[in-house]
Amino acid sequence: MFMKANFKYSIYLVLLTTIVCCKKPYNPPAISSPGSYLVVEGAINSGSDQTTIRLSRTINLSSAVTLNPELHAIVAVQSDQNINFPLTETTNGYYVSGGLNLDNSHKYRLSIKTSNNEQYYSDYVPVLNSPPIDSVNFTITNNGINIYSNTHDATNNVKYYRWDFQETWIFHSNYDSGFYSNGDTVLARPANEQIYTCWGNDTSSTIIINSTAKLSKNVLIDNLLTSVPSTSIKLGSEYSILVRQYALTADAYTFWTNLKKNTEQLGSIFDAQPSQINGNIHSATNPLEPVIGYISVGTTSSQRIFIKNRQLPAWLPTPAYPNCQLDTELYVYYAPGAKTPVNQVNEFINYNKGAQFPLIPVSPISRPGSPPLGYTAAEPVCVDCTLRGTNIQPVFWKY
Amino acid sequence: MRKTYLLSFCFLFFLQIVSAQQSSVKLISVNFQQATIAQFVNDIESKSNYHFYFDPVSFDSLKVTLQVNDKPLKSILDAVFKNTNFHYAITNQQQVFLTKGRQIKTDLAPGFIVTANTQAKQILAVADYTNDKDKKVADATTENKIYEIGIKTNSIKPGTATLSGYIRDIKSGEAIGGASIYVASTKSGVSTDQFGYFTLTLSRGRHILNIRGLGMRDTRRQIILFTDGKLNIEMQEQINSLKEVKISADKVVNVRSVELGVTRLDIKNIKQIPTAFGETDVLKVVLTLPGVTSVGEATTGFNVRGGSADENLILLDGATIYNPAHFFGFFAAFNPDIVKDIELYKSSIPEKFGGRLSSVLEITNREGNKKIFTGSAGIGLLTSRFNIEGPIVKDKTSFIFGARTTYSDWLLNLLPQAYKNSSASFNDANLDISHQINDKNNIYLSSYISNDKFRLNSDTTYAYSNKSIVLKWKHNFNTKLFSLISAGFDKYQYSISSTANPVNGYSLASNISQSNFKADFTYYLSNKHTINFGLSSILYHNNAGSFEPDGSRSLVIPQVLAQEQALESALYLGDKYDVTPNLSISAGVRFNIYNYLGPQTVDSYAPNLPKEPNNVLDSIAYQSGKIINTYAAPDIRLSARYLLNDDLSIKAGYNTLHQYLHLLTNSTSISPTDVYKLSDPNIKPEYGDQASLGIFKNAKANTIEMSVEVYYKRLRNYLDYKSGAELVLNQHIEQAVISDQGKAYGAEFLLKKTAGKLNGWISYTYSRTLLKQDDPAAGQFINGGSWYPASWDKPSAFNFTGNYKFTHRYSISLDIAYSTGRPITLPIAKYGYAGSERVFYSDRNEYRIPDYFRSDFSINIEGNHKVHQKTHNSWTVGVYNLTGRQNAYSTFFTEQGGVISGYKLSIFATPIPFINYNIRF
Repeated sequence: MFMKANFKYSIYLVLLTTIVCCKKPYNPPAISSPGSYLVVEGAINSGSDQTTIRLSRTINLSSAVTLNPELHAIVAVQSDQNINFPLTETTNGYYVSGGLNLDNSHKYRLSIKTSNNEQYYSDYVPVLNSPPIDSVNFTITNNGINIYSNTHDATNNVKYYRWDFQETWIFHSNYDSGFYSNGDTVLARPANEQIYTCWGNDTSSTIIINSTAKLSKNVLIDNLLTSVPSTSIKLGSEYSILVRQYALTADAYTFWTNLKKNTEQLGSIFDAQPSQINGNIHSATNPLEPVIGYISVGTTSSQRIFIKNRQLPAWLPTPAYPNCQLDTELYVYYAPGAKTPVNQVNEFINYNKGAQFPLIPVSPISRPGSPPLGYTAAEPVCVDCTLRGTNIQPVFWKY
Repeated sequence: MRKTYLLSFCFLFFLQIVSAQQSSVKLISVNFQQATIAQFVNDIESKSNYHFYFDPVSFDSLKVTLQVNDKPLKSILDAVFKNTNFHYAITNQQQVFLTKGRQIKTDLAPGFIVTANTQAKQILAVADYTNDKDKKVADATTENKIYEIGIKTNSIKPGTATLSGYIRDIKSGEAIGGASIYVASTKSGVSTDQFGYFTLTLSRGRHILNIRGLGMRDTRRQIILFTDGKLNIEMQEQINSLKEVKISADKVVNVRSVELGVTRLDIKNIKQIPTAFGETDVLKVVLTLPGVTSVGEATTGFNVRGGSADENLILLDGATIYNPAHFFGFFAAFNPDIVKDIELYKSSIPEKFGGRLSSVLEITNREGNKKIFTGSAGIGLLTSRFNIEGPIVKDKTSFIFGARTTYSDWLLNLLPQAYKNSSASFNDANLDISHQINDKNNIYLSSYISNDKFRLNSDTTYAYSNKSIVLKWKHNFNTKLFSLISAGFDKYQYSISSTANPVNGYSLASNISQSNFKADFTYYLSNKHTINFGLSSILYHNNAGSFEPDGSRSLVIPQVLAQEQALESALYLGDKYDVTPNLSISAGVRFNIYNYLGPQTVDSYAPNLPKEPNNVLDSIAYQSGKIINTYAAPDIRLSARYLLNDDLSIKAGYNTLHQYLHLLTNSTSISPTDVYKLSDPNIKPEYGDQASLGIFKNAKANTIEMSVEVYYKRLRNYLDYKSGAELVLNQHIEQAVISDQGKAYGAEFLLKKTAGKLNGWISYTYSRTLLKQDDPAAGQFINGGSWYPASWDKPSAFNFTGNYKFTHRYSISLDIAYSTGRPITLPIAKYGYAGSERVFYSDRNEYRIPDYFRSDFSINIEGNHKVHQKTHNSWTVGVYNLTGRQNAYSTFFTEQGGVISGYKLSIFATPIPFINYNIRF
C-alpha cells in the first residue's frame, strides 16, 4: 500500500515538473538593450503636392511608448545635380515641403542629418509618376462592401503600385443634444456647435500593393483595397474614401512586399522565420546600421468616392456604445422618503455646481408653455460625437 | 573419455615405438595367468615379429588369463579382448595397435586413393552440386574442426572459390546481420547482410575464418576450400560470466570497411543509455553520435551533418516511417524489445538508397525465434510493453510480435484541475513473420502500426498514425548471385479536430501514402568485385490537407486540397572493388527518374519573377495519370579505403543525392502536423553532394576505436520559407517557399571503447550549416543575400555515453550532452510605419538560444545470472537531466497590453527520476 502511494506520488511529481514549470521570462541582451534605429516614412512628391517625411526611431519592445519621433533633424531632397530642396520641420517628427515640381529626368535622394550629427542618405531614385486612377468602385457582399480600384498605365513605365487611403464617414452620436451646460446653467445649443453629426476618419493600416509585371497589358482591374463590414459605423450614413496611388520601382515593390509579410502577422512569432527589412536608406558613416524605410520619388494620383447608406442593403451598424441610456435630471427631485429636494441638474449636469462626471443635457422635460422642469441627459460618449470625430465638415464633403 | 583416447594415441605413437619385420602369418602359443598387458605384449613380441603400440595406462586394469596353442595373433587377441572395451588393429607391417573404446582402421577408406573411376564420380558430383536441390548444408558449429567446403579433391587446385552461407544464432536460429567474417591470411573480409547471408571469395585451400557479430561471442572456423560451397555458421550469444571481460564485436569493421560515416548500434548498447522516463529510445541514441544534432528536446527530427530533419530516410525493415516518434517527439515509435540494431549512414550511402539528402537510418527488427517460444514484458512509468516470439514451424517459420501502449491518461487525471481535460495515448505494434521455403528462398513479412492521440488542456485533439507493411522475398540463384525483391505500402496520416464550439467544429487532416517495389541484386563476381544492382519504384499519393466540418451543427465550409501523385523510380549499379588487399573502392551510380503525375492543376509563373499570386501566368489542368513533368538525374556514390597498416586506414568518399519529397514545416522542429509536398514543376527537387575524408584507427587489440572525419556538403534548391508563409491548406505552396543554397562542413571526432568494464564513446563535432538566399527571382533576399546559419546550426556538440560494469549484475550509465544553442531570429524593436505598429527583427538567425547541457544517469540491475531459468528480470533506475538545467526548448514573444515580452519554454527542466522493470521469459 505504501509502495503504491509512493509510486503514484512520484509520477505526479514527474508530470508536474515536466509540464508545469517550464515557461520562464526570456530577455536576451538583444531585446533588453537594442539599438534605436532610424525609421523614415514618406515619399518625395515630384509634382505640385506637398512632400511629407516622418522620422522616428524604433522603440524597445518592452516599452509602453508607441511613438518615438526624431526631432530637430535637417532633412532635404537632393538631386543628382546637387540641387538641394530643404524640408521644414513641423511637429512630431514630420518634415514637409510645398510642391517641389522636380525635373523628371533626374534622380533624387533624401538627405537626413539627425540632431546628433548622424548623416543618412537614401539611394538616388528615378522619378516614377503614378498614372491616374481610372476608377474606384465598390461591390456589395454578404458581409459588407469591398472597395476596388482600377488603373492602367498607357506609357508602360509603371508595373508596381502601392495604395493607401483615407476614409471619412458621417456618424451620429446616440442622442441629438439641443442643450449644453456652461458649468452653471443649461443653455440652448447653437447650431454651429452641434455634436450629433460628426465626421470620423481613418487611414489605411495595411500595406496594399499589386503589380502588372506578369500581365501582357499594364492594366489592373478590381484591385481590392479594403473591405468594410456591414456592421461598421462607417456605413451608417455616408462614407467616403480617398485612394492615393503610388508608382513603385521593382526594388521598392520588393521592400513593401517584405515589410508586409514580416510585420503584418505579429502574434504568431512562435518559431516563425521572419527576415530583416532592408530599405534604400543608409547611414553615411556605418553602412551596417539598419535604417528602416524606403524612399520613392514621383507624383501620386488620387480619387475619392462617396457611398451613401441608401445605396446599400438595410444594414444596421453596431453602435459604438450600446449601453447608452437617457437619465432624467430634475431641478426639484424628492428621493423616495426624503424630506428635502435635490437639484439633479446641478448635481449631474452643471459641473461648476457639483457634477463630478457631468452628463450632457439632451432635451428638456417641460409642460407646453412653461419653463423646463429638468432635462434628459446622457454620458458624453453617448451624446458628443466630437469625442470620436470632428463636427466640422471636411472641405471635400459634398451633399 | 575423448581425452583418454587422445592420450593413448600420444603414448602409442611417441612412447612405445618398437620395430620389427615379418611378413607371413605366424602361429603363436601362449599361457597367461593374471598377466599384465606388459607381460602379455612382451611375451607375444618375443615369440613373433609383431610390434605393439598401446597406452599402458589405459590397459592397467586388464589382466590376461589365457592358454592357446598355435593360433594366429588375431585369434589370440579376439579371445583376450572378448567382452571388453578394448580393441586391436593389425597392419600389414605387423604393427598392432591396442586401443580402448575405439578401434583403429588400418585400411584407407574406400576412394581415399584416387583412381580413374572415382575421378569420374567426382566430376559427376560437381555437376550434381550445381543443381544442388536437397543437399544438406552442414552447420559448422565447432571451432577446431576443419570443414571441407565443396567437392573434395586430392590436390587443391589453384585459383579461387566462393564460400557462402548464413550466420545464425545457435539458440534462436535468428539471422545475424552485420556480422563480419575476416580472413587473416588474405586480410580480406565481408559482412553479412540483414538476413545473415554472406559470400566470400577466397583462394582455394585452408583458411581460418574469424567471425564477429554484434552481441555475439567471437568465433572462428577452419575450412579447406576445394570448390564453391556453402557453410552455415552458428554463433553463440554473448553471455558474460562474472569475471569475463566483455568481448566486443565488429572490431575490425571500423578500420577495414570501405564506408565512411556509417554507424551500427546494437540494441544492447542502446539500452544502456538513460532516457527520460526510462524508455529505451532508438532515436535518442542517434543523437549521441557525432554529426547528429536536434533542434531541441522532445522533437521528432534529427539533423545529420547539416541536413534538415526531413532529409533523413527512416526505414524499419525496409518500410519508410514518416513520423518516427510518439507523443510529439518524446519517445521513439520503435519498440526496443523488437529492434535488433540500427544503422545510420551519414556519408557513404549505398546506391540502393535514395530519395533523401542527409542520411539513411535503417532500423532492423529481430527475427522471431525459430526454435522455442520466448517473450518479454516491461513496465515503465508511462508505457508498458510486451512481446512474444517463436516458431510456427520449427526451424522454418517464426513470428515475432511486439506491442506497446501508454496508460498516461490516468496519470493526467492526477494532475491539478487545470489539466483535467488532458489526455494522451499512444500505442504501436509490430508483427513480423519469416519463413524459409527452402535453402534458396526465404520470405519475410513485416508489419507495423503506430497511433497517437493527444489532447492537452484544450478541446483540440491531435491524432496521427503510421502504418506499414512490407513483403520481402530473398532468392539465392547460386552462391554468387542473390536477389531481394520487396513490395510494401506505407502510410502516414494526421488529424486535428475540435468540437469545442459546435458551430466551428472542424477536422483538419492530411495523409501521405506510398506503394513501393524494390528489386535488389548482389552478385559476387570474383573475390575482388561485388556488384550490386537493382531498381526501385515508389508511387506516392499525397493528400496535403483537408478542412472539413466536424459535427452536425458545424458551419465550416469544407476545403480539400487536390491529391498529389508522383512516381519516383531508380536504377542503380554499384561495384565494391578490392584493388589490392590494402585498397578498396566502392563505386556506384543511381539514376533517378521522378514523374509528377496528374490529375492536377498546376500554375505557371512568369519567368524570373517571384512566385506570387500576382505573377501567375496560366493555370493548366492535367488529366489523371498524365505525366506533368519529369526530373531525371544520376547520383554518384563513391568511397575508397586504403589500409596504412592493420589498424590504421584512411577513407574518402563522395556522393550526390536528390530529394523529391519535402516536409513543409514553419517551425524549427518537426511537428506531426507538418505537411508533405512532392516536387512539381514549380518546386524543384532538392540536391546535395558531399565529400568526406576520414582517418580510422584501432588500438589496444581493437578495443579502442578512433576516428576523425571531415566533410563538406553543398545543397541546392534547399526549401526555405518566405516570411510569414502559410503552409497549411495552401493551394499554392510554391508561393510560400523559396529555394536556398546551402553549405555544411564539419569535423567529427569519435573515441569509442568497446571492451572492458568501462565502455562507451566520446564524440565531439565542430560543424557549421549555412544557407544563402540571393536569387532575385525569389522575391526576397534573406539577410541581404549573405550566408546565414540554418536553424539547426550548432557549431560545437559534445557527447559522452558511458557504461561501467561493477559486477555483472550492476552497471551504471552516464550520458552527457552539450551543444551550442541553436540560432533564432529575435524581434528586437518596434516602430510605427504605414499606419500600424510593426516589429523590427534581427537578421535571420542572428542570435542563439542559451547553450544546451544535459546529463543523465542510470543504474541497471540485472537479476541472477543463470542462463537457464524461466524468467530473467532487470531493473533500471535513473535520473534524467541530473543537474536540472532549464534548457530552452523554444522561445517566443507575445504582446500583452502593448508590451512585447519574451518567454523561454523548457521541457524536462528539473531532474526527472524514473524506474523501469523488465521481464524476459
